[in-house]
Amino acid sequence: MLARAVPLVLLVAAGAYLILSLQLPFGAAARPGAGFYPVIVAVFALVVALGATTSAFRSAPGAAAAAVDLDAAARRRVVISVAALVAFCLALPWVGYPAAAFAFVTIVLRYLGARWTTALLTGALSSAASYGLFAVLLDVPLPRGPW
Amino acid sequence: MGPLEGLGYGFSIALLPSNLFACFVGVLVGTIVGVLPGIGPVGAMALLLPSTFAMQPATALIMLAGIYYGAMYGGSTTSILVNVPGEAGSVVTLLDGYQMTKKGRAGAALTISAVGSFVAGTVGVVGIMLAAGWLADVAIRFGPPEYFAITLGGILLLSRLSGGSILNAFVMVALGLALGTVGMDSISALRRFTFGSVQLAQGIELVPVIMGVYGVAEVLLLAEEGIAKAQIASVKLRELLPTPEEWRRSTMPIARGSVLGFLTGLVPGPAAVLSTFISYTVEKKVSKTPEKFGTGMIEGVAGPEAANNGATAGAMVPLLSLGIPFSPATAILLGALVVHGLEPGPLMISQRPEVFWGFVASMYIGNLMLLILNLPLVGVFVTVLRLPQHVLATLVLLLCLVGAFSLSNSFLDLWVLVIFGVLGYALRKLRVDPSPMVVALVLGPMMEKTLRQALFLTRGSVVDLVARPLSATILILAAAALLGPPLVRLLRRGRVPQPLPR
Repeated sequence: MLARAVPLVLLVAAGAYLILSLQLPFGAAARPGAGFYPVIVAVFALVVALGATTSAFRSAPGAAAAAVDLDAAARRRVVISVAALVAFCLALPWVGYPAAAFAFVTIVLRYLGARWTTALLTGALSSAASYGLFAVLLDVPLPRGPW
Repeated sequence: MGPLEGLGYGFSIALLPSNLFACFVGVLVGTIVGVLPGIGPVGAMALLLPSTFAMQPATALIMLAGIYYGAMYGGSTTSILVNVPGEAGSVVTLLDGYQMTKKGRAGAALTISAVGSFVAGTVGVVGIMLAAGWLADVAIRFGPPEYFAITLGGILLLSRLSGGSILNAFVMVALGLALGTVGMDSISALRRFTFGSVQLAQGIELVPVIMGVYGVAEVLLLAEEGIAKAQIASVKLRELLPTPEEWRRSTMPIARGSVLGFLTGLVPGPAAVLSTFISYTVEKKVSKTPEKFGTGMIEGVAGPEAANNGATAGAMVPLLSLGIPFSPATAILLGALVVHGLEPGPLMISQRPEVFWGFVASMYIGNLMLLILNLPLVGVFVTVLRLPQHVLATLVLLLCLVGAFSLSNSFLDLWVLVIFGVLGYALRKLRVDPSPMVVALVLGPMMEKTLRQALFLTRGSVVDLVARPLSATILILAAAALLGPPLVRLLRRGRVPQPLPR
């Protein structure tokens, strides 16, 4: 499915990109405007995305799927990791870096197969150490959260 | 400044304590990420880029480049001992390297690959000194049409060489070029594709994209496996010495690999990886016993290991003399220089000699450090492999997150990181190389600017744009490389009768 979904998404994106590019001032060949180059890129993108989509739908679905297929446990580990990344980005402004980092490391480690004690300990240590390094030593304004 | 005078000056810069330290940190980190499968030099360079903002430009360049060529040393260790490539440039090494380990010659394979890397690294530095100076002299006469031709030709060649289908490579290029147009237009100051976001007006930053595609994506691949422990062959120190016979057989492959690697590095494309395949093929061709390759031939380790180091050196030439990066790794080096207000290009060598020559001299020193780090201390690095992979993977993810945020304290960069991490993972599952996208993201804005300037100069005439002798030559060469192989295949198909389908 992935082998067909990716080119299809790109094809739609290329179409949208072309529509947006056409709304920019095109200018003339001797004085190209802000839309001149994006239109060229959009046409190129549309052509190659169309080619990729056609070839993806023409080839046997089984061949591509075999390379992508994962067992359920492996798929769960990847999905949890991605969900944790997204949750971290969403939570960071609200709960602050130390709490978000602690929760992120603990949950990901636990799902990758570590014991609870290892996960909690690594979460606490890595959150404190990275906050100390980046926020305290390097002056990065990492959000602290409400506490 | 002549090459010798320049090099002398360069050593006076590179031997400053701060630069020596930066060089050591760079090659040490490079060796470690080289040894660790799953985390490559490009991701590590992107992660450490923010930490170089406070450094002098020469120091930043010295450290980041150290990671790049250091990884080529470390990568072979894992290939030889574990039968898993530490990074992509060491895939070929495991063919014969691991077979040597099975025969009890792991030590010899490690020594030969470290010495080969050292020789190639040194040859490569001499190459940079000579080629970059010469190319810079030529490039001073380049105008926008030539720069446009180089960027366009480079992207075309890269798509051809990146492996896999050229259609997929073009899709990646289109994506990279389109992403490069997001943000404020540099000529008319119009905001494009920003959807009202102030942060997007700055454009999509390269570093979170690279961290996502080369850091997060790799970790997601590791996450598939959960807890995995590597089986590591142990090596005793006295086994490290190759026999005189092994030395003799390695000499020519190392020499050939060094030169081949450097030349491959000059061409746009995944030079380090490509050079190892070219070198392996050449060694097999010139060997009297090609059938024995894959059973533990020292030539199959010596050649490719020299080649990947030669290639990292060669890749510096277009960056330093033209200011054009043709690979994700050199794109980060460009980013590091631009942050400091430096414009790499033909004038940098004469205007900022301390950066160019300091960097070149540091590569001599770095290669020497790597030889020491990777031979007597190889055992220390192997213990890195005993670290639990899942803990390491999680910590790398956290470092990517905090690193992406710290670039410009922006939540947008975090989202870019995650989106490109997922995209990079999907691309790897589909066996599509993301590097054309990354390079196109960097070269796209350069290409647009030079195209618009050139059209302005030629009053809109496309013929005048491509008919200038230099730009025409570059474009014809790129077109030949792009269309040549399929054309030859087509002609051959016409002559050779097709075998009947069974």
